[in-house]
Amino acid sequence: MSAAVRVDGLVKTFGRTRALDGLDLTVTAGEVHGFLGPNGAGKTTTIRVLLGQVRADGGRVELLGGDPWQDAVELHRRLAYVPGDVTLWPSLTGGEVIDLLGRLRGGLDPGRRAELLERFELDPRKKCRTYSKGNRQKVALVAAFASDVELLVLDEPTSGLDPLMETLFNECVLEEKRRGRTVLLSSHILSEVEALCDRVSIIRAGRTVESGSLADLRQLTRTTVRAELIGPAPQLAALPGVHDLAVSDGRLSCQVDGDALTPVLAELARVGVRALTTQPPTLEELFLRHYTGATR
Amino acid sequence: MTGTATLIRLIVRRDRVPLLVWIAISAVLPAGIASGTTALYPDQAARDAFATESLGSPAQLATRGPIYAASVGGLTAWTLGSSLALIGGLISILLVIRHTRGEEETGRRELLSAGVVGRHAPLAAALAVVCTANLLLGLLAVPALVASGLPAGSSLLFGLSTAAGGWAFAAVAAVTAQLTAASGPARGIAIATGGLLYALRSLADTGGAAWLAWLSPFGWVRLTKPYAGDRWWVLGLVAVFVAALTAAAFRLSTRRDVAGGLVPTRPGPDTGALSGAFGLAARLHRGALVGFTTGFGLMGALLGVAARGLDAQLDTPRFRELATTIAGADARVSDVFFTFVMYVLSQLVAAAALVSALRARGEEAVGRAELLLSTPVGRLRWGLSHLVFALVSPVLLLTVLGAAAGLGYDGDIARVTAATLAHLPAVWTVVGIAALLFGVLPRAAVAVSWTALGLFLLVDLLAEFKLASGFVLALSPFTHVPAVLLGGASAPVAPLLWLTAVAGTLTAVGLVLLRRRDLAPAT
Repeated sequence: MSAAVRVDGLVKTFGRTRALDGLDLTVTAGEVHGFLGPNGAGKTTTIRVLLGQVRADGGRVELLGGDPWQDAVELHRRLAYVPGDVTLWPSLTGGEVIDLLGRLRGGLDPGRRAELLERFELDPRKKCRTYSKGNRQKVALVAAFASDVELLVLDEPTSGLDPLMETLFNECVLEEKRRGRTVLLSSHILSEVEALCDRVSIIRAGRTVESGSLADLRQLTRTTVRAELIGPAPQLAALPGVHDLAVSDGRLSCQVDGDALTPVLAELARVGVRALTTQPPTLEELFLRHYTGATR
Repeated sequence: MTGTATLIRLIVRRDRVPLLVWIAISAVLPAGIASGTTALYPDQAARDAFATESLGSPAQLATRGPIYAASVGGLTAWTLGSSLALIGGLISILLVIRHTRGEEETGRRELLSAGVVGRHAPLAAALAVVCTANLLLGLLAVPALVASGLPAGSSLLFGLSTAAGGWAFAAVAAVTAQLTAASGPARGIAIATGGLLYALRSLADTGGAAWLAWLSPFGWVRLTKPYAGDRWWVLGLVAVFVAALTAAAFRLSTRRDVAGGLVPTRPGPDTGALSGAFGLAARLHRGALVGFTTGFGLMGALLGVAARGLDAQLDTPRFRELATTIAGADARVSDVFFTFVMYVLSQLVAAAALVSALRARGEEAVGRAELLLSTPVGRLRWGLSHLVFALVSPVLLLTVLGAAAGLGYDGDIARVTAATLAHLPAVWTVVGIAALLFGVLPRAAVAVSWTALGLFLLVDLLAEFKLASGFVLALSPFTHVPAVLLGGASAPVAPLLWLTAVAGTLTAVGLVLLRRRDLAPAT
């Protein structure tokens, strides 16, 4: 599979602020890639570099096989972008904006446009001035989904949508995926990421801290193990990958690294347990750990 | 009204720099002009001569009105009375709209209204700040005027008259801000109202019916007659005008929704025919272009008709002498008048062109450029799509102005239009400066471009008072424009060529740099 986006060691500074500090990102063609990170981590700056709106200060950036700064116009024929904070021309109607963006990207599928308008329950005759944030987002989403492009770049596209519309958005992204399109999705909504993304990259303070499939990421984190013991306390403290071990009144709890689970279970089996629960990390824990920057 | 105090602090915090600059310049200028007058016309005989000469010029009467007393104070009040009211009025309109309708349009008002902020607080806060600023600049001018030897009471009246100009148009803007959902039209209606009231005063002072001046705030700020009888009661008219309009604005604001206008927004087409970046730009510039064209057309027609009768009326020995020194023995006095008025109007055309030139920056600041440039529209194409309108709009405006004026004047449309179009390269230079700044310093482009135009106006004002010469004078592109009406076919063409070259170079460099810089949204 070829890469739709390949970013190596990307650096971008604004004055003294180092917004991107050696960021890596690879999006394989045909996948939905989640792009995650706390506010101010550099997600939007990365997207602006990918769109050729700001110039990289260092590192290598490749978009659809081209240089996003040099070949911006050519590359933009093959992608559609939905910004996180959509501002539209107040005197134009939603329909006019959709058609303008579509025509610029090389034409819209009128059937798909009509279908999307209906599904998103958007009135295209209203002036953009009167649209709410959610409705402005719908305008940009309809224009993007109805365009014939290879890559969709979506920057927190559902931040203004209600839960029903979020579900609809998820359906649309999966449809796009089935059509073979690549999606780069910056998001904060974990259910959305879990439902849609093949792989995710988590960034913090301008660097990539984790990248892989959700299963991979789970593997890298700790499982909570609780047991009621029959016999004496097992010798767990000496095993590698065991953390926060606590034993009292025959009850044991600890956190175990994903790759250290087998020896822990063997030791528990040796001393004997009356009850055993293991709890995989939730997505929330996964992200919180990276967002807050706690050591593994 | 709850929350007004907090909102006042917010407005002052956001606009502290422009507010300070405006107040400082307006407060210092009167004393400067007073000492300039003392230096240039040291004795009463010199001042009398100057006053007689100026009163003979309809151009002076049109822009500044009559001289009520040929004293240092009287001449200072005459020189600045209308200009300060015009500048103060314009700035007051811009500020009031920015902090009322502008805030609603961007949605920031919603955020504030959800807090403990009364329904009337935003308008009250905007008016409080703007009116206080006007009062301050008026009062601060007083000590310096007194220090330069002018009577304290009259100086106070002059300061308050200056403030009154700003107050009147702050109140006008408070009303227009209630009318439309967009801030552009609200601003446009307020400025057009100001233009109309200024024209009314001009008409009254150039030999029309003198009573017309009593219908315009621009008339009132002169009719207080500081240093020439001190009619304090005229300020009462301003107070009534301001109180009535302010009350109307508050009443209107209770009859509409937040972010809505009294004029409802109608639904539009569900499909669009905009063909691309240029189509979009045409749509965005259309309204302003039509408005400005109509305005300058009307202004030209008015001027032409007014100038027609001037030859006979102006054939006074004094003005004949003035015309001869400027343009030679065989010049028509009305041509001299026209030349002066065109000079002033070309700077207004430059302001209109600047609005167009800076629109691209506005698009970038609010984030709309980001969306547009994510499509296959290149930077150059996008920048050009807006700059083309900034370059074409002065062609249109100057042509319409010249044609309408020529038609009303002597029917020789070609000659008068040639005279107005001679200002085109100077206006283009202003556009070029904006284009260059847009390419280099996007975040400062708006402020610095307007400051540059303001400085050109200042240079012209100083030149008139012989306080600037040579090098400083040469800095303003407008001083290089040949007077076509006076020179006939022999008017020098060289300045037109090199000004055009300068404008072209600035624009081209700006566009090249635009391609190389990062996009810089305001947030």
